[in-house]
Order: sequence, then structure tokens, then C-alpha cells
Amino acid sequence: MKGAARLRRVAELRLRRWSARRHGSDALSLTVGRRRIYIIPTRFGAALALLLTAMLIAGLNYNSNLGLAFGFLLVSLALIAMHHCHHNLLGLVVDANCEIDGFAGDAVRVEVLLRNDGRAERCGIEVRFAAADGQAAVLCSVPPTDMTRAVAQLAVAQRGVLRIERFELRTRHPLGWFRAWSYVHCPLTLFVAPQPAGGRAPPATAPGDEEFAGLRAYTAGMPLKHMAWKVLARGGAPAVRSYTGTAAPPKWLDWAALEPLAPEERLAQLCGWVLACDAAQRPYGLKLPDVVIAPAIGPLQRRTCLRALAAFPAAAA
Amino acid sequence: MSTEPIAPSDRVTLQALSSISACLGIALLADLTTVPVWVSGTVAAGAAWRLGLAARGRDAPPRALRLAVALFAVGFFFIRFHTFNGLYAGKALLCLIAGLKLLETRTRRDLYVVALIIYFLCLASLLDGESFTLLAHAVAVSWITTATILRVAGADSPSRWPVHLRYAGRLLAQALPIAAALWLFFPRFGGPLWQLPDDGNGATSGLSDAMSPGDVTDLALSDEIAFRVRFTAAAPPPAALYWRGPVLHDFDGRTWRHALLRAVAAPLLPRGPAYQYTVSLEPSRRHWLFVLDWPFAWSAPRALLTNDYMLISSTPVTQRLDVTATSYADVAWTGALDAGSRQRDTRLPAGLNPRSLALARSLRDAHPDDAGYIRAILTLFHEQAYFYTLTPPQLAEDSVDSFLFDTRRGFCGHYASAFASLVRAAGIPARVITGYHGGTYNRFAGYWIVRQSDAHAWVEVWLDGRGWVRMDPTSAIAPERVERGLNDLVYGGAASTSRWQQRTPWLADARLRLDALRLLWRERILRYDQNSQERMLKWLHVPNPDQRKLALLLGASLIVGMAWLSWQVRRDAGCRPKDPLERAYRILCRRLARIGAPRRPHEGAEAYAARVAALRPDLDATVTALCRRYSDLRYGASPPDRAVFIAAVRRFRPRDFPASS
Repeated sequence: MKGAARLRRVAELRLRRWSARRHGSDALSLTVGRRRIYIIPTRFGAALALLLTAMLIAGLNYNSNLGLAFGFLLVSLALIAMHHCHHNLLGLVVDANCEIDGFAGDAVRVEVLLRNDGRAERCGIEVRFAAADGQAAVLCSVPPTDMTRAVAQLAVAQRGVLRIERFELRTRHPLGWFRAWSYVHCPLTLFVAPQPAGGRAPPATAPGDEEFAGLRAYTAGMPLKHMAWKVLARGGAPAVRSYTGTAAPPKWLDWAALEPLAPEERLAQLCGWVLACDAAQRPYGLKLPDVVIAPAIGPLQRRTCLRALAAFPAAAA
Repeated sequence: MSTEPIAPSDRVTLQALSSISACLGIALLADLTTVPVWVSGTVAAGAAWRLGLAARGRDAPPRALRLAVALFAVGFFFIRFHTFNGLYAGKALLCLIAGLKLLETRTRRDLYVVALIIYFLCLASLLDGESFTLLAHAVAVSWITTATILRVAGADSPSRWPVHLRYAGRLLAQALPIAAALWLFFPRFGGPLWQLPDDGNGATSGLSDAMSPGDVTDLALSDEIAFRVRFTAAAPPPAALYWRGPVLHDFDGRTWRHALLRAVAAPLLPRGPAYQYTVSLEPSRRHWLFVLDWPFAWSAPRALLTNDYMLISSTPVTQRLDVTATSYADVAWTGALDAGSRQRDTRLPAGLNPRSLALARSLRDAHPDDAGYIRAILTLFHEQAYFYTLTPPQLAEDSVDSFLFDTRRGFCGHYASAFASLVRAAGIPARVITGYHGGTYNRFAGYWIVRQSDAHAWVEVWLDGRGWVRMDPTSAIAPERVERGLNDLVYGGAASTSRWQQRTPWLADARLRLDALRLLWRERILRYDQNSQERMLKWLHVPNPDQRKLALLLGASLIVGMAWLSWQVRRDAGCRPKDPLERAYRILCRRLARIGAPRRPHEGAEAYAARVAALRPDLDATVTALCRRYSDLRYGASPPDRAVFIAAVRRFRPRDFPASS
């Protein structure tokens, strides 16, 4: 049993490498073509094949035309099932969403967009992601002429930049007699920020009064939380409520300020601060040994900082 | 294995369990008569037990218990059957295993095993069954089983039953043409690959090898079909249709029995018209094959013609059997009767039936020539008060005397027995032939149906210089003395229908049409073999048909079938929307993608047009106009003519480089 499993793993690895050489690296979005779909019978399918052989021998032996007719019906049913399995992947349009990050120790969301231009629903499509230290899979179906987000949760223990070299689309639709699959050799890059630590208070700063100070014109990057929706609803130009506190001077989150701590702990602390500042809607900047990010606020700033923390080289620390 | 933890997605649900149990139950319906009641009961009990556990949210019974139940059941099976071999035992064992497997079902995989067993049970019921209903049943069972597999395999996307049934139906419908091609072209072999064990169960029907008319007081005429006959060319007149069965020689005063068989037939010279025909026998579990007088050639496996012209198969007819034979209505007997046969066919039991012996002596004195003597007996039957009846009184110890002088009522057996006794009493060899006479002509499909109610008995008499001559004493009875049941045919009438058929002709017609369908089913489907394949190849104008060409044809038809299938499935999975407008828009996008401006998934028509215009100013006017028109067609309140748009898209063929460069 173990030997068979290892054999299968080795065969799959070989096939994957071969297919990588064959197709090169793929650009998204990608339409799954017939040359990249592989198909083999499952264990259930192999058992069925044995059964069908037995049926045909019995039918021939008993000279029973009805038995043969029934056996041939099942043989054709298996052929049809094979076609349906193959066509469940054929023509599927795949796109990835790389805008998603996560934190070490949590489940990182990996997302792929599947589009179905066909008339039939594509059922039971499994998207499998294999990273260096874990696997994630998600099962989904795509309604006709529609799109589905396949979101998998990948458990990542370590901070860093995670490259998912490829992902795999698998299906056993409709009867589980065949397994069709296709590799997409398109690396997805995920930035895994350190697990935020909240041990220390952020660098001292005079807290703003948080008093409403009037409306300012909206520019991109301003927190949506402070959006003056009523003004917009009345037909006015987009505006943001401003508070006296928000104008407080930007705060530097400094690597050097955390001197006695180990590098990973410092990163974790910085991460915690970034999140805290972001939650408090205060402008902040980040200083790392090689990287300086100018103070700003908003989702873009948050992402830039978190990515910088994720990408911080482990060797330099 | 059983202690392994099961992933929650693999654990069977109550719903899946009840579906597969229902499939198994319906599959077993076809085998209820062939599988012992205790096996069906065990299967039902196993299913009920498992379902009961599942309903309370519990798993399969513990492993030790399951093992004990399985061992007990299989052990009991072996005690009852003494074998696991053969179709009958194998089928019962398969049912039993299905029930036991159902009991221990815990995961999806177990359900799959049960589904496979159900498929095989369907096949097993078809191996010895031949009716259309059985095939329809098997297809229906495989339909719902496939739907169940769809449900179980696609458990992540919950749909309702009708959806799965429809999908399974579509799969089967698509499988049908390919299955038909396989069935038509797959090479058949002549016989079985190995000898099949004979189950030896089932009752015999039809004529037996002995006749004792004195003991029968009510001859029930069954409408059951004995065989069907199709003549290749002309058929003999209906009155001459004597289907020859067991020939009886030995008479002990009450019962006629057939004697030991001897193979070599006396040489015959064919004279009269030859008739070629195919007799399609229903299974009777007897050895007789019924042919017309006098058979010369026949095609039946392991069949033998005896010296009294019985065609006998060395194995009982347990399955439907087709015999093609050629018979001559008129023959010349060259040899004389050998002494042994003459002695055997003139023997009468000593000391019995004294009154008939006296009658024979007095008749013989008046008619010293054999032919005259026989005519005198027939005249006796015709002129005296003899009645034909199917409910004759029981005869006394001296059965011939009792019939001839006391009761005077009887059916063909009585007359044949009495006639043969009288003939033998004069020293003329005589033997009783049992078989069938006449039949019903099916004018819708041009063949004869011979039923058990057409059973008949007649006599053959040896006349020196003429050989064996057929005499039918029953036909000598005056028509006004026939009480009921005897077909008009016996009197040479053309109509061979009974009274109820004359009263309700449409019903009789419907019955004949139904029977014609049955014969068609049998000739075209059940008996489809190597020869039929050869005929089909000839019909397709394939020169020198052989197995290799058949295989080629099979390959070719499979390729065509798969191509058709591929096209079918692609049409569903693929890229051709139904709406012509949508299709035209796709074409537009595809052509633009080819020149390097693919539409992004999120882009609407007008945004796309704007982007294309920025990329390729030379196409600006056309693309903007086309996209605006598409938007109007799709969303506008008063859409312009869509045909114009479609035609414009078809004309639009952007070149790969800007026109300016």
C-alpha cells in the first residue's frame, strides 16, 4: 500500500515536471486547452473496468445477446463519463487574484477565479495549491456563463514571501470513474507578514482630540470610515470628515527602536504597530534597515508596510 | 481497516444509504423468482438494520459482529447450495454479498462497491432471461443507480433528485448509439468459451414420452406456445402440418411408451415437394425437436434422427432453440420392415381387451386386404356413435374395450390408441405418433404459432409396398359429434381460429401482432450471431465479409461515435452561446483579441471600445459603432435590427497592423 502510494507520488512528480517543460510557464488569464488536460481512471473506475470485462466474458460465454447489450451499454456509459470528465475542464478560463496577503500562523487565503463560458455547469472542480510547507484545496462549481472564486485556506507557519509555483485543477465529475487534471504553471506570490505581537505600546505620541473639525475634499487613500456618505448621497462632491486628532504628526515605526529584541520578534512587534496605527487611522511610516516607507495612511500603506515586513530577508536579520 | 478514522466528507449519509438500498431492492425485483426467499430476506434485513442505525446517526455495526454475520450467511449459503458455481448459485451469492456489503457500508467507497454489484446483478438477470421487459428493467436499474452514483460522487453540490435523474438519463442516452454500434459489430463466437454447469432446475412442459388416455378425464388445453415456425418459401396446406414428436411403440393395455432409440433411419427416397422452415422452440426441458414429416436435413447441435423418424437432441431444450430443417411431404420407402420392428409394432398385451380382439377378427374376415381393413375401422369410427370430447369419462381396466364399446367418447389419444390396437390385432404393424397438428397462422408477419392446445396424436401403419402411412383416426369422426375444442383445421377447413377469436377479431389481431413483435425480438435481437453479422456486412456491400472487416467496421463506427459525442459534449461545455447576438459579440471580441486587444473580464462593451480605440486609432470608428450597437441591442429600450449588427460583425476583419504603418 505504501509502495503504491510512493510510486504514485513519483509518477505524479515526473508528469508534473514533464508538463512544466512542455507548457513552459503560463500567463494568466488562461484557457484550459485540450493539450494540457490529463485523465486517468480512478480506483473506482479501475474496479468498473474489471467488472465490465467480467460482464463481457459472461455475456459471450452464455451467448446472451441481452447480457452483451447491457455490458456494452455500461462500456459506452464509461466512455461518455470520460468525455464529460474531460470536458468539465476543457475551456475553463482561469485567473488568479494575487492581491491577498496573510499572517504567519494563520490560514492564508489563496484565490483563483474560474470562468465558465459554456452552457453546462462545471461541477466538482477542485483547485489544489501546493506550497513548500503545505497544501490547500478547495472544491467548487461554476455555473454556466458565470464566474466563481475558488478560495483555499493555506496554513503557513513562517513569515516570508511565499511562492506557489503552480496550482492544479482536478475533477472527478460526473461519476467518479475518471480523474482529469491540469497544471497551471503560473507562480502566485503571497506575502506572509509576521504574526503581529502586541507586547509593547506604540511609540509615544500625543493622542489627537478626535474632535470633529469639518469636511475635507476626498482624495484616494483616505479612510473610507470617515467618508461623509450623506454629503455624497445629497449629490455633493465626495468628502471626508476630518478630526483634530488625525492631523497629528506622522509616527515612525522604527526597527532600530526595538534594539534588544531578536529580529523576528522586532518584525512581529512592527507588524503589531502597523495594524494598531491602521486601526486607529493615524498616519505612520516604517523604517527598516534597508527600506524606508514614508508616512501615509490607508489600505495601500498598510499593504506596502506589511509586504515590506514579509519580504524582510531572513539572513539580514 | 475499520478502525481507521473516516473523513467527514467520505462518511455515508442516510440519504445516500437509502438511495442505494432502493436501487438494490429494485434490482432484486427481477430475481425474486430465481433467488431463494431467505436470500432476499437476508438482503432486506441487512438493509433495514443498516438504515435503522443510520437513522439514529450511528455507524455500521462493529467489525466482529459484521464478520460473524457474514460468515454465518455464507456458511448457510454453502449448506443450502453445496456450490458457489453456476448462474443460479452465483446470482444468489451475489445478492447475499450485496446485502452484507450494505450492512457494513461506512464510506463512499463502500457505496461504490454496492453500485458495482447492482450493475452485475442486472447483467446476471439478463444472462438466462430473454424478455424485453428484463432488458428494460436492467436499463432502468442502471439509470437510477447511475443517478445515485452522481449524487454520492457530487455530494459537495447538493441538487435535487430530478436533476441527477435527468443528468444520468442524458448520460445513458448519449451512451446508447455507441452501445448499439458495439453490439452490432463486436465479433461473436460460435459457442460458449467453456462448458456451463447445468442448473437442472425448472419444470418440464409440453408432450411427455408416454400416453395413457384412459386416465385423463379433463384435457386442459394450455395456450402456451410450444414453438413458432417460419417457412422459407411455400408452406404445406394447413391440414398437412403434422409436427412429429415422440413415437410410441409399446402398449401395455393402458399406456403407450416409446421404445429404445436406434439411430440409423431406414433409407428413404424423397419424392414430394420439399419444405424448408425454421422451428423456434420454446424451452420445454425435453429432448424432442418437432419437425414435419419427413425430415431430411436439419441444423441443430447434437441432434439425432432415430429410425422411427424422431428428431432428438442429446441435451434437453432448456433455452430457446432454433432448428432449421428440410422435410419432404412425400417419400418412397425402399426397404422392407425388419423382423424386429415388425414384431415390436404388432405386439399387444396378452389377455387384455378381448372384445376389441373379437371385433378385429370379424373385421379382418370381411376385409382380408390391409388397406380395406383399415378403411373399415375408419368407417366404424365415422358411422357409429363416437364422440370427440376433451372431458372423457375414465376408462375401465381394459381401456380399449371400455372406450370402443362403453364410453365411446374421447380425444385424439383415445382414437389413436384404439385404432392402433385394432390394426395391430390384425397383424399389421402400427405405431402411435404424438406431436402437434396445425397451428395459427400469423398473417401480420407470415409465420405459424403452434401452441400446447395444438397437441395431437395419430397413427402410422405399415403397408407392404407403401411403407409407413399416416392415419388420423380422430379426423374420421363425424363433425356433428365433435363436442368442443377440436379446431376446424382437423376437418380441412381453412380457418384455424377458435370461437373467442372469431367473436373478437380485433383482440385476436392484437395478439397476433404482439406475438409477431416477440418473434422479431427473438429473431433479430436474441439470435443475433456470426451469420447475422455476415448478412449485415453483405447488406452494407462489404466484399468478402470476415471477422477482420467486422473489427475494422467496429473501429470506424466507434471513431464516428466518439467524434459525434465529442461534438455533443463540447457544444454543452463549450464556447457557442445560444443567443446569436451573444455569439456575434464573442466573434467580435475574438477578432480583436487576435490583433492584440483582448477584452478583459470586467470590461463592458463601451469601456472595451474606448480602450481599443486608444490602442488602435485606425479602428476607432468601426469598433465604437459596433460596441455601441451591441449595447443598444442588449440593453436599449428600442433595439435596432440585430441582423444588421451580426452581419456587420461578420464583415469586420481587423488586420494585425495599423493601416497607417
